[in-house]
Amino acid sequence: MASVDVEDFIEQNRQLADQVETFRSISESEKHWKSRREFIFRNINDYEDPHLDHLLALSMVWANNVFLGCRYSPDLLDKVRGMAEGIVVEDAPVFKTRDEIMQQQRK
Amino acid sequence: MGVPAFFRWLSRKYPSIVVHCLEEKSKECNGVRIPVDTSKPNPNEVEFDNLYLDMNGIIHPCTHPEDKPAPKNEDEMMVSIFEYIDRLFNIVRPRRVLYMAIDGVAPRAKMNQQRSRRFRASKEGMELVEEKQRVREEVIGRGGYLPPEGIKERFDSNCITPGTEFMDNLAKCLRYYVADRLSNDPGWQNITVFLSDASVPGEGEHKIMDFIRRQRAQPHHDPNTHHCLCGADADLIMLGLATHEPNFTIIREEFKPNQPRPCALCGQVGHEIKDCEGLPREKKGEHDEFAGSLPGSEQDFIFIRLAVLREYLERELTMASLPFPFEFERSVDDWVFMCFFVGNDFLPHLPSLEIREGAIDRLVGIYKDVVHKTGGWVTDSGFVNLERVELIMQAVGVAEDNIFKKRKNDDDGFKRRMKEKKKRMKLEKQRQQEPSLLGQYAPQALGGRDRPGAVHNPRHTAYDMRMQSMNQHNSDAAQSLKAMMKNGNKAGGSDGVDGRGVKRKAEDSDEEPEPEDNVRLWEDGWKQRYYKTKFDVDVSDEDFRKKVVKCYVEGLCWVLAYYYQGCASWKWYFPFHYAPFASDFKDVKELCSGFDKDTKPFKPLEQLMSVFPAASGNFLPETWRALMSDPESSIIDFYPDDFAIDLNGKKYAWQGVALLPFVDERRLRAALAEVYPNLSPEENKRNSLGSDIMFVAKSHPVCDFIHELYRAESHEGTQIPAELCHGIQGTLNLDEEPILPDKPVESPVPCLRDLAQNSAIGIKFLDPQFEVDFVFKAVLLPGAKLAVKVLKPGDWERSSNGPWRPQLGFNHNRQQVHLDQSAFRSLGHHVNRNQGGGQYSQGPPSGGHHRSGQYSSAPPPSSYNQGNFRGHHRDQRQAFQPQHSRQQAFTQPPPSSNPPLFPRPPYAGGQGWDRAMQSQGQAFQHNMQRGQGGQHGGRGGYQQHDNRRDDRRDEHGQQQQPQQGYNTGRNYALPPPARKYTWS
Repeated sequence: MASVDVEDFIEQNRQLADQVETFRSISESEKHWKSRREFIFRNINDYEDPHLDHLLALSMVWANNVFLGCRYSPDLLDKVRGMAEGIVVEDAPVFKTRDEIMQQQRK
Repeated sequence: MGVPAFFRWLSRKYPSIVVHCLEEKSKECNGVRIPVDTSKPNPNEVEFDNLYLDMNGIIHPCTHPEDKPAPKNEDEMMVSIFEYIDRLFNIVRPRRVLYMAIDGVAPRAKMNQQRSRRFRASKEGMELVEEKQRVREEVIGRGGYLPPEGIKERFDSNCITPGTEFMDNLAKCLRYYVADRLSNDPGWQNITVFLSDASVPGEGEHKIMDFIRRQRAQPHHDPNTHHCLCGADADLIMLGLATHEPNFTIIREEFKPNQPRPCALCGQVGHEIKDCEGLPREKKGEHDEFAGSLPGSEQDFIFIRLAVLREYLERELTMASLPFPFEFERSVDDWVFMCFFVGNDFLPHLPSLEIREGAIDRLVGIYKDVVHKTGGWVTDSGFVNLERVELIMQAVGVAEDNIFKKRKNDDDGFKRRMKEKKKRMKLEKQRQQEPSLLGQYAPQALGGRDRPGAVHNPRHTAYDMRMQSMNQHNSDAAQSLKAMMKNGNKAGGSDGVDGRGVKRKAEDSDEEPEPEDNVRLWEDGWKQRYYKTKFDVDVSDEDFRKKVVKCYVEGLCWVLAYYYQGCASWKWYFPFHYAPFASDFKDVKELCSGFDKDTKPFKPLEQLMSVFPAASGNFLPETWRALMSDPESSIIDFYPDDFAIDLNGKKYAWQGVALLPFVDERRLRAALAEVYPNLSPEENKRNSLGSDIMFVAKSHPVCDFIHELYRAESHEGTQIPAELCHGIQGTLNLDEEPILPDKPVESPVPCLRDLAQNSAIGIKFLDPQFEVDFVFKAVLLPGAKLAVKVLKPGDWERSSNGPWRPQLGFNHNRQQVHLDQSAFRSLGHHVNRNQGGGQYSQGPPSGGHHRSGQYSSAPPPSSYNQGNFRGHHRDQRQAFQPQHSRQQAFTQPPPSSNPPLFPRPPYAGGQGWDRAMQSQGQAFQHNMQRGQGGQHGGRGGYQQHDNRRDDRRDEHGQQQQPQQGYNTGRNYALPPPARKYTWS
């Protein structure tokens, strides 16, 4: 889904788009939110209402991994990466996890 | 405030705020401890009314101490906590109130910090276990000896969080402790004890502040109450100042840097875990009698006198020719506010304000500049005037660029110096290792059979020596060159395989790894890079930047209100990991519109869910725990397995910023709603909000009143009659499981006996309540008397009051002790022997010290500087020294080449300062002490003091144990008790 497609999608699903907009957190920049929003749009059909929170959790798992450098269990990461296939994130930040820093310092 | 540097800075800049505590130690006799009678006057020559304990500062060191072996189980931990409180009680000896506050559920603003600490602690704990295991195997493989591994599990310090079983148990234990002491300890007879356990929401120190604030807002409060607050956090100093109580003192452990820590594996000091070799333990003392106690390991306490800090601040902040009248109390509030910029638990500090770089001085300078233009004070009773804040921030913003450049410069300079120093040290070490005298000059053992003959051909030998050392250097250089080349090859070869494959050679390992810094605040374009790297946004994204600034400004308002009025909102938090720049504070006037008034704190188990990593899930019920690890959980994103750390210009992981995701409260509550029904009744109880409890002993005037409430079974809240309890107000409610007089209290700790003869009573207590929009005024109360000034007046020189006499303790009219000549002779004798032991003896240089060093009752020379000898006759600290050396000139016998193996018997009147002496000349000494009379008048003060102690000791048999010798030495360092208690 390129950005044009996302715009189209929003046009066609105003109500849904407005609802999704409420999930944006205050600390999310435009760039981060756009990517996560796309993640939600792509998968929202598989997570109808009672499971919506689960989708939000997965979207955060993915965003935290990409934008904050968090690690989760490999299965979970594989899953969200699969769900995010096709989302283009331009120059994602690079992080060192705590484990990596400790390893480096021990050397 | 999580800023350890703050206290260091403060105590250096304002040294007179620190007063060392005098602690009367309990004595032991035939293995029975004789407790100190704390109803006696305070040896610190000051009387405190209220003692407040921020319990978390006690629980942590008692449950997982850094400087001694950890307690084996929970019972030992509890006993250790009791002992710690006893110690503090003995030093402070409060006469009215003891308030113990354990951290309850914290405001959301604090939770992010708690979360980051707990995630880190969990990781660090696991790392330690792994490393221990690894080194243990290595050591044992090499044939080393290690004490067997305890069966106990690793104590997860994360359980010190409200809502866990541990905290619940601790509350029970503390109730027992309070009941026991109220029933048995004479010092507790008339005090009111408040226990605010983890079930009462709020951070410990803020619960204490709330208590003080609400007491002083009601009419019966005594404006001259002397408060003493225990805790090491720097923000206690701010909180204390914020109360505007004239007599406020903080007590904390003395900070001693670089204390030896025992190795976690073998329990010995002197090496870190990774260097553990599993060597057998050295005997401590001649018969291993000092095993288990590091020399001087018990931390001493210090007082921090806020009254003196206020004096200093008054000098620093007083401004002439202001466009509005100067009010010192208001300027203190502004100073407190400015300290928040430099660091607090709720907001990251501004990048340009580092306390180590004198940020507070800079801020105060700017403030004094700007305040002329602002037209008024920056804060008022905890409310911020944002317009004026903006002026200050803009002034800081102007300097920002230079601050960053200077920081880089200083940093580089420091690194260069360190490098040079290391190089020098290395060279020196090499030189030391090389034998410098060779051939016929080489040292020969004395008494050997080959007597060295006369020197032959000295020039040739000297030449040989020169050549040899040159060759040595050459071969060294060649070797290191070879090593370098080999290393280089290897590193090059393995680069492709694995970046971290090769262990670097020792040669370049002293080059500390430099953390990369992409922000480079010292180069142009820093702001752009900062926002890009830290927030992943463009500098052109004005909206985002404004959002960060808005949140930060809200934060400043929230924090100040938190300190002066109490928690303004339980929900508010700063939703970023980094602060904006000072120069970004533009148009901030309208940015904070107040907070939601009716927010509620989390429940204890909810808070556990939001601060714990999945690895600490064992403290939670099963279905709750599953939410932390199940991939299908709707809050799984809160619990990453590992997280990124941004070193943010620092060197070590623990200094960096932990990039943890924030908790989405709505989603958390929704997820928990489904598992709430799974709570057992016991867990439900742990999850509910509790109440403060007030305890008194039977002898307290309010006891009968409370007892009557229980008899009448009155289920309405009742006000405390002000006249019964020193004007303390509050509402009493019956406790469901009360502690009542003559009702035995079961001991929750197996090794402590049940309390059969209980005479304490406990009842629920609620602080006085005020209207929602009530403002606690930050002013001195009418009738408050300021403490006597301590600092030397600025115009002292000009006045003809004689020499200035600095005040060392609390009491201005402290009795000075003077030593007469014979005392100095005796002192000189002892000091000198200690110093000279190594110099003149032929045995191992430390021999003299072994006998009479650290453990002997003669205090080491340095302690004379701390004792009462300071200020003897003259005011200079060194006054004692010249005196001493002069004395020495005629009291010291000529240095003998063969010092006696036993210390010389002291001159008549020499106290048994030396252990050896004590065991030898007991009878003599006792006679001396009993028979002392006018001839020792010069030392009257402390001799009497000792005498009294000795009498007490005599009642319990005349056992003189080595330890007592030690004690005697300690007594010696104490000042004498004044005979009249006139200081308060």
